[in-house]
Amino acid sequence: MLLVARKNLFSEWTRLVISVGGVALSVFLISLLLSLYRGWDEKVGGFVEHSNVDLWLGSEGAEDFLTAASLLPTEGKEAEQAKEYLNAYPSIDQWSPMIVRLMQGVRVDRISATEEKIGSKIDIHFIGFDPNTRLGGPIEVIEGRDTPGPGEVIIDEKLGDRHGIGIGDTLRAGGRDWTVVGKSRGGDFIATQTVFVSHAEAQAALRMQGATTFYVIKVRQGVDPAQLGAALEDQAARNEAPIVTHTREEFAKSTRDRVTSNVLPILFVVLGLAFIVGVSVAGLTIYTATIEKAREYGILKAVGFRNTYLYRVVFEQSAVTALLGFAVGIGLTVGIGPFASDYVPQFVLFTRWQDVLLVAGVTVVMALIAAYIPVRRLGAIDPVSVFKG
Amino acid sequence: MTQVTKTYGGGDAAVHALDDVDFNIEAGEVVVVMGPSGAGKTTFLTIAGALLTPTSGTVEISGVNITALSEKELPDVRRERIGFVFQSFNLLEALSAIENVTLVMTEGSPKSRGAVNRASELMNMLGLGHRLKSLPRNLSGGEKQRVAIARALANNPDLILADEPTANLDSKRGREVMQLLRQIAFEMHKAVVIVSHDHRTREIASRIAWLEDGTFRPDVATDRDPVCQRVVEVQGSPAFSYESRSYYFCSTQCLELFKADPAQQLAGKRQ
Repeated sequence: MLLVARKNLFSEWTRLVISVGGVALSVFLISLLLSLYRGWDEKVGGFVEHSNVDLWLGSEGAEDFLTAASLLPTEGKEAEQAKEYLNAYPSIDQWSPMIVRLMQGVRVDRISATEEKIGSKIDIHFIGFDPNTRLGGPIEVIEGRDTPGPGEVIIDEKLGDRHGIGIGDTLRAGGRDWTVVGKSRGGDFIATQTVFVSHAEAQAALRMQGATTFYVIKVRQGVDPAQLGAALEDQAARNEAPIVTHTREEFAKSTRDRVTSNVLPILFVVLGLAFIVGVSVAGLTIYTATIEKAREYGILKAVGFRNTYLYRVVFEQSAVTALLGFAVGIGLTVGIGPFASDYVPQFVLFTRWQDVLLVAGVTVVMALIAAYIPVRRLGAIDPVSVFKG
Repeated sequence: MTQVTKTYGGGDAAVHALDDVDFNIEAGEVVVVMGPSGAGKTTFLTIAGALLTPTSGTVEISGVNITALSEKELPDVRRERIGFVFQSFNLLEALSAIENVTLVMTEGSPKSRGAVNRASELMNMLGLGHRLKSLPRNLSGGEKQRVAIARALANNPDLILADEPTANLDSKRGREVMQLLRQIAFEMHKAVVIVSHDHRTREIASRIAWLEDGTFRPDVATDRDPVCQRVVEVQGSPAFSYESRSYYFCSTQCLELFKADPAQQLAGKRQ
């Protein structure tokens, strides 16, 4: 680093702290929002992505897991025909019906004199899965039993953590009381968490006898789920049964899009604002520092330094400011990431190294823009001015 | 400097800051350039210092015709062949005394042992051996000007250009600086050009060049204004005789002040 750049930068600590603070704040905001976006992206699509289901089959219009806007028969002529087809397909390893319903439950704390269940309300994804195939069931059971019996549920660990629900506690959902017998991992959708019961219990509780939300399919090894899905859709179309199929990846993506497509525009606006804050603070402090030292730059020109040298001085100051700001900002994001959701459950941060590189690139752009105007000012300094008293 | 003219503006509004000026200085000489305000002294200095290009004429420093060089080549000439000493010292405030000197030798790149040794040597020679690490704000005016002189000498240039080097110093420090510049010319064999209003500079001058209306005027008789101490041209200046001696003034204001109490004015300056 050039002597003049280093000395100018570190001789005024207040200015340095302000400009580094501005960049750090900007980097922190940008990286925090990106990490938050990645965290949500990971969580929201995570259940579908990590489940053992290769192909999701729903009624026409069912595009994502969160809304689960699908209703299919499990009894009757159409259902029997569907079962026949599914059983006949040699590329299908296993299939089963699965119920998904977004609803509000209650963590029962006490029962009033009028037999009313009193407790805190919780938003859940109530899932009925087939305990035999376990398709669409808990991804990983970490505590208690792995298969819920009649009147029993397995809850996601985050639901337990957030609302203080443990094994043996009572949870009211779908008009019934359930006893928690196990805890699973991987079913956290940030705003809701999964609660698993058997498919038959879900049908009964939700009065969905003869119906289900999805048919979930596991294909044999080497089979392309997309091709199978297309074949199933063709088959259904021939029977005038409007269905849609989604591979795991497609369903995970559309589930993510359901949440993030609404968040993204806001995210971009806030990212843009954070970028402007960083450029403004760094740019203004570097600009004022350059203006204040205009006479000194004039002296340097007078005694034989070229404009390119002066430009380098300003760029180096800007670059070091940006580098320090980047280190502080990223450090804060990485530092608070693991603990943030402990205090604010929705604050799920996931920092990827690719995003760190992206923010580093943004910081470089920030430094270049912050230095651009001061550099133009330097070019206009007349060295003759130093002869004037 | 041969037949140098510098004209600002054009047509009827054209101003000839320098008009067909010839000027020559040899190594080991001290030439003091004097003249009234607006005479073209700063223009002369900036053209001699390769900071300004003349409208016509040629400027040579150590055999190099700098008027034939491109704009991009001039910074090298300024850094290697010319040393500048300014009225306001013009040190970089964030740099220590020695860093101000080494800077022009290394172009601000990482420290070079050779540059540090030379800077220390120069500063010791100028009596600043104990102030190497001091920041300019902690130095007195005289010390700052000596650091500026060390910086001017750092690249061992042939020509030193000093613009009012004593203007911001008290009389004692001013005299010290003048003696240093004289020493530099005589002992280090440099050509030293001093632009000044300070009559004390006459004491060290090998010759005095009087610049007026953009031209050097030969054989100009000068004297010191006893009130403001400026050097003034005898011919045409307001004059007053006191105790069988003629005194010359830069303006009627100084003349009136002197007339009011000549004895006190002369006594005051003698102190």
